[in-house]
Amino acid sequence: MLIKSTYNELIKIAYKPRSFIGIGGLIIIISIVLFAMKVDGDLYISLITGQFEQSLTFEGTILNGNLIAFIIIQMLIIHVPLLIAFVTGDLVSGESAMGTIRLLLTKPVSRSTILLSKFLASCVYTLVVILCLAFMSFVLGKILFGTGDLMVLKSDGLIIFQEGDINWRFFYGFSIAFLSLITVATLALTLSCFSENSIGPIVATMGIILLFTIIGSMDVPIFDNIRPFLFTTHMAAWRYFFDDPLNTTNILYSVAILVTHIIVLLAIAFYKFNKKDILS
Amino acid sequence: MMFKFNLKILLLLFCSVNAMAQDPRLLLNKVLVKLSQAKNYKADINISVDLPYIKMMPINTKLYFKQKDKFKIDTKSIAILPKQGFLQLNMLLTDTANYTAIQQNQQVVNGVKTSLINLLPNNDTGDIVLAKLWVDAPNKVIVKSQLTTKSSGTIITEYTYGSQLAYGLPDVIKFIVDVKKFKIPKVLAGDLNTTKSKKVEKSSGEIVVILKNYEVNKGIPDSTFQ
Repeated sequence: MLIKSTYNELIKIAYKPRSFIGIGGLIIIISIVLFAMKVDGDLYISLITGQFEQSLTFEGTILNGNLIAFIIIQMLIIHVPLLIAFVTGDLVSGESAMGTIRLLLTKPVSRSTILLSKFLASCVYTLVVILCLAFMSFVLGKILFGTGDLMVLKSDGLIIFQEGDINWRFFYGFSIAFLSLITVATLALTLSCFSENSIGPIVATMGIILLFTIIGSMDVPIFDNIRPFLFTTHMAAWRYFFDDPLNTTNILYSVAILVTHIIVLLAIAFYKFNKKDILS
Repeated sequence: MMFKFNLKILLLLFCSVNAMAQDPRLLLNKVLVKLSQAKNYKADINISVDLPYIKMMPINTKLYFKQKDKFKIDTKSIAILPKQGFLQLNMLLTDTANYTAIQQNQQVVNGVKTSLINLLPNNDTGDIVLAKLWVDAPNKVIVKSQLTTKSSGTIITEYTYGSQLAYGLPDVIKFIVDVKKFKIPKVLAGDLNTTKSKKVEKSSGEIVVILKNYEVNKGIPDSTFQ
């Protein structure tokens, strides 16, 4: 029953035009970045290496598919949550707004199963978005720019990873990015349970992400105690796989925080959805 | 008789002083002649970088050189080398007319007795401010150099010789390079979660190049350097 219900939810997502706006936007943005890098990528590289060029020279192909993939993920991981919330924030509230929720809940399926199927469908949609991001940045980037070592820019230096040491980092990096987007999807789904219209949960999700991101990026001591518990802090956890040495404690902590958020938000969503009054 | 003897001593003294005055250029010329024997060469190289603000694993690649100034590191990997690297010393030695060579005292460098020669540029338009060369006179090779430049600060280079001593080609080159403080905004770097950056105390680091499997004077086409 759960599988069939999830399939139905996926069909609903697929039939909504807004589901493709996000993916279409992603493809357009990445295409623009790829074009810009092809034309003016060397300028970007000189921004990275410029501070060392007084005493050092860099040989080899710095501008390659791996660097392009890294730049694209870094740029877009902030914006992709908007695309996810755009769809998942509508899953329950959209049905409430249209009135189809009454029909849905009269079916001989428990409310929990329906909500779980909506959650699983949002996970599948998130996976499609992340795979699209991975294909456009990682695969297309390598086809257009070739392959090579990855130079990772950090605020206090450079780390250069050899070509053979990169693919697994991207795999786990995308996996953590997927987990963080699932957290956003769950947040939007939970807020969706509280609302009767689609716009509210989407805007509220973006507002929360924006607020938490600002708190997380401010170097103010008062936020030091809050920052580690904000899920937005851990949305950049994919970057931990591009550290040397690998900080497994930070990675596991980020995974734990994201999973905790998902569980807590899902629990709230289940509670609210099961108590939801559909008669009014 | 006494006058003749004194004259001989004076002449001898004059000649030796004159010879000493010519020594630095003569010695550098001998080094250059030895280096010039290698018209072209290629070698497998291993580059290890230990610099502040940069982390990378050692890389293995190939180096090509052809007289007089063709040089290439054939790598798909990213390699970091000092700006005043392999060619600078060769250029300097071929250009000694534009420098005043002054022989200093003898010094022991890495267990090798060397003659220290200072090269001072005759005009101040070039990049090099001062070059110090520690020359192993019997083997006619440079064991250590210290280039002070306007653009890149000071670069100390130590050479260890082995299999290709006959051509004056080193087996190991150690560059000690000055690196300026690296800091860029977190927004540009994208690591927004990094709140406290590690304080880097060092301002200089090492790049060690190990050269193996030399193929000297086997011919290298010009197309290799394009």
